Amino acid sequence: MMVRRLCKKWVIYPFIKHKVRHFLNPLKIFVALGCVSAVLSVLVLLGFLIQSSLPFWQAFGIQVLWGDAWYPYESLFGFLPAIVGTVWALLIAMIIALPCGLAAAIVSSEMMSETWRNLVRVGMEILAGIPSVVYGLIGLWLLLPFLQHSLDLLTGHNLLAAGMILSLMILPTIMVMSQDALQAISEEQRESAMNLGVDWQQRLFRVLLPQAWPGIRSGILLALGRALGETMAVMLVVGSMDRLPEPFYNILEPAQTLTSRIGREMGEASFGSLHFSALMGCGLILAVMAMGLSLLAQHRSLIR
Amino acid sequence: MKHIIWAASLLLSLPAVASENIAAVGSTTVLPVVSQAATAFHAMHPDVKVMVSGGGSGVGIAAMIQGTAQLGMASRETSPEEQAKLDGKVDNIIIASDAVAVVVSKAVYMSGIHALSLAQIADIYRGKVRNWKDLGGADARILVIDKEASRGTRHVFAKAVLGSSHARAAGASIISGSNNEEQSIVSRSNNAIGMLSNAWLNDAVRGVDVIVHGQAIAPTIEHVRDGTYPIARGLHVLLAKNASKNTRDFVQFLLSHDGQAIVQKVGYLPVH
Amino acid sequence: MKWFLMLLALPAFLFPLASLVYILSHAWDSLSWSLIFGAEESSSMIEAGQGLWPQIIGSLWLMLWACILSLPVAISLALFHALYASRRQQRGLMMILQLLQGIPPIVYGLCGLIVLVHLLHWGISLAAGGVILAVIVLPLLTSNMIHALERIPMEQTESAKALGLSPVQIIGRVWLPLVWSGVLTGILLAMARALSETAPILFTATVFSGVDWPDSMLSPVTSLQTHIFYLAQEGSDAHAVGVAWASAAILLMLILCFSLLALVLRRLEEKV
Repeated sequence: MMVRRLCKKWVIYPFIKHKVRHFLNPLKIFVALGCVSAVLSVLVLLGFLIQSSLPFWQAFGIQVLWGDAWYPYESLFGFLPAIVGTVWALLIAMIIALPCGLAAAIVSSEMMSETWRNLVRVGMEILAGIPSVVYGLIGLWLLLPFLQHSLDLLTGHNLLAAGMILSLMILPTIMVMSQDALQAISEEQRESAMNLGVDWQQRLFRVLLPQAWPGIRSGILLALGRALGETMAVMLVVGSMDRLPEPFYNILEPAQTLTSRIGREMGEASFGSLHFSALMGCGLILAVMAMGLSLLAQHRSLIR
Repeated sequence: MKHIIWAASLLLSLPAVASENIAAVGSTTVLPVVSQAATAFHAMHPDVKVMVSGGGSGVGIAAMIQGTAQLGMASRETSPEEQAKLDGKVDNIIIASDAVAVVVSKAVYMSGIHALSLAQIADIYRGKVRNWKDLGGADARILVIDKEASRGTRHVFAKAVLGSSHARAAGASIISGSNNEEQSIVSRSNNAIGMLSNAWLNDAVRGVDVIVHGQAIAPTIEHVRDGTYPIARGLHVLLAKNASKNTRDFVQFLLSHDGQAIVQKVGYLPVH
Repeated sequence: MKWFLMLLALPAFLFPLASLVYILSHAWDSLSWSLIFGAEESSSMIEAGQGLWPQIIGSLWLMLWACILSLPVAISLALFHALYASRRQQRGLMMILQLLQGIPPIVYGLCGLIVLVHLLHWGISLAAGGVILAVIVLPLLTSNMIHALERIPMEQTESAKALGLSPVQIIGRVWLPLVWSGVLTGILLAMARALSETAPILFTATVFSGVDWPDSMLSPVTSLQTHIFYLAQEGSDAHAVGVAWASAAILLMLILCFSLLALVLRRLEEKV
């Protein structure tokens, strides 16, 4: 009885707005419980991520971010090779996927009939759902031998392969988001452009693309976020070599990304060791980068 | 409504069978033996399931330290630090021996590289020799395959060739994980060198002889038996001192006649 | 210009389609009933011949638990958004959901590894994987539900309120008939998502082999996703690689079932 009264007073009352005070309203209890558990679970998970990477930051400080040697057994933890590898992989993926995806969006939104457009869209949505490990399988068995033979490389495992696989994975995201943005432009705006007497090309570059740009931009940032966190496919094709590319634009040698390092070394690092905490540091960097991208994507008025 | 709840609860309640699960984790070199033995053991004791997963020796030992597995698999000795953490809690049992073969791609073998000395192998891994030409082969860059630091094969190999089990390999061009992954990289390349347990040798992945005191010794089970092959090792399972009876029985099975037959079938040297 | 754009867009249409065809054509050779239900004897060193049934079951269990655990939370968050939240709270909630959706799944996997596997001593288990996947699909599920609720016309709610219905009655009698298909779409999409995640369950829920039916929530499982990953690295074993393609095809078909159903539902809803 006592417990119940305390519960009422401290758990349920504060949640109930003053206007409608149904005591122990089951709906409100349900909603409150759900919200509290969601907030708690997310906070606990992310809190422990920060907490367990703390020993590492305390021991080595922020300069690990530009250290270039990663030898866990010698207590050398330099993050630079993996960060550079991640950035390269993202860049390559974008260079391939952005023109293709954007062009596909323009073609399907401006040049296709409604039926075809819907068909393409459904196809793209389905493709966006293909699991990354399946892309990894394709990369390993189709892309790597192809790269190795066509470019006459020592091995097909390299940043280019990782970037290409990633581009395949983010293509649907870019395309669907850009298509949505183009479709959202109202008929009036299109017609007023027509009335100005500009041709198709000018209309596209002067009216449609600038109008759709905020949507396209969030699409790009979302796609970047997805590529950043992709693990399985990258891990299978990147070669996992913890070394800075030499020279820095050499993308045809095995390299490492943040995610592939976590995937490779997570099992071996014993819980509580410095190595474990360093990998948690990698995870934290990933999370911070991804949240940054996501915030940018939401902040529509930032670049216009 | 009642029916729905009833059906849902039926769906969700996992049948509670009175059986025991044994988790075995670690070296992918030991894995085929334990995995096949697990199937055979399950046939004899249907109520016991041995769940096997890889990850490498370091993972297996870490799992025993943390108590997340009942059985650890390791293809190397435990390091002093690991031993300090394991001390008194775990029995280390050797179930087989094998050779860590220095493997090359078929094309390299065909071009005339049949034997390498330990010093030559060390030069390759230290990055002093980067072309097969310098070793008498064709004019081609060497694809030097290193392994993840936690892998038992790498410990044993690095200790024998480079002097210490965690030595850096500056000449390495790619890192591989499990034996299978490394095997596939070697077989796909024409210029690769790597390290693999002798059980993973095949037509596309050839083991070269290792020259010791002017004598070329092939990575075969016979040479492990007579002790002449320089990069040989024991394959271990780690058994917690407070392990259940079924877990002990399983280890006994590994050491029994039938278990050792599996060891032989996989391609390792039995302990008896 | 138009032709240039078409040329540029061609790979975007062609390559994904080609890879889909490639998977299916490779899987075709090894797909059979015996492969799924496992009649054949293990032929490779790694037991790829046991049949894929346990993996399918494992994947489905993980998916089921992810949805069961996240569904009530998602519903309550959506109701909070629709019933109690102020404008600012609504915007904040949407922002946080997007933020959480942006965090890479492997990061959730790491968090789960620390908290669930190590600190709570659940070990590598179905429960840990289910909770982690639940957290991963939660933002997706919640935002889908919120959007479904937002599509309810204001007048309907207002008139129901004017009739003196309580919130519970409004939800049950007015909203539910209107939103059930939207909610179902959300659930189906969440299921597809949960099926396609691999990295977060690799260290927290799955083992390589040995489980055909999880005995309890704390027992590990095998899953199609991780099975593909392990088999993908089987370089020279043609059989294992065939099984990997077959697993990929089965996984794809499962995911396609859910996402196609979701698409059909959404279409129906848009037409109404």
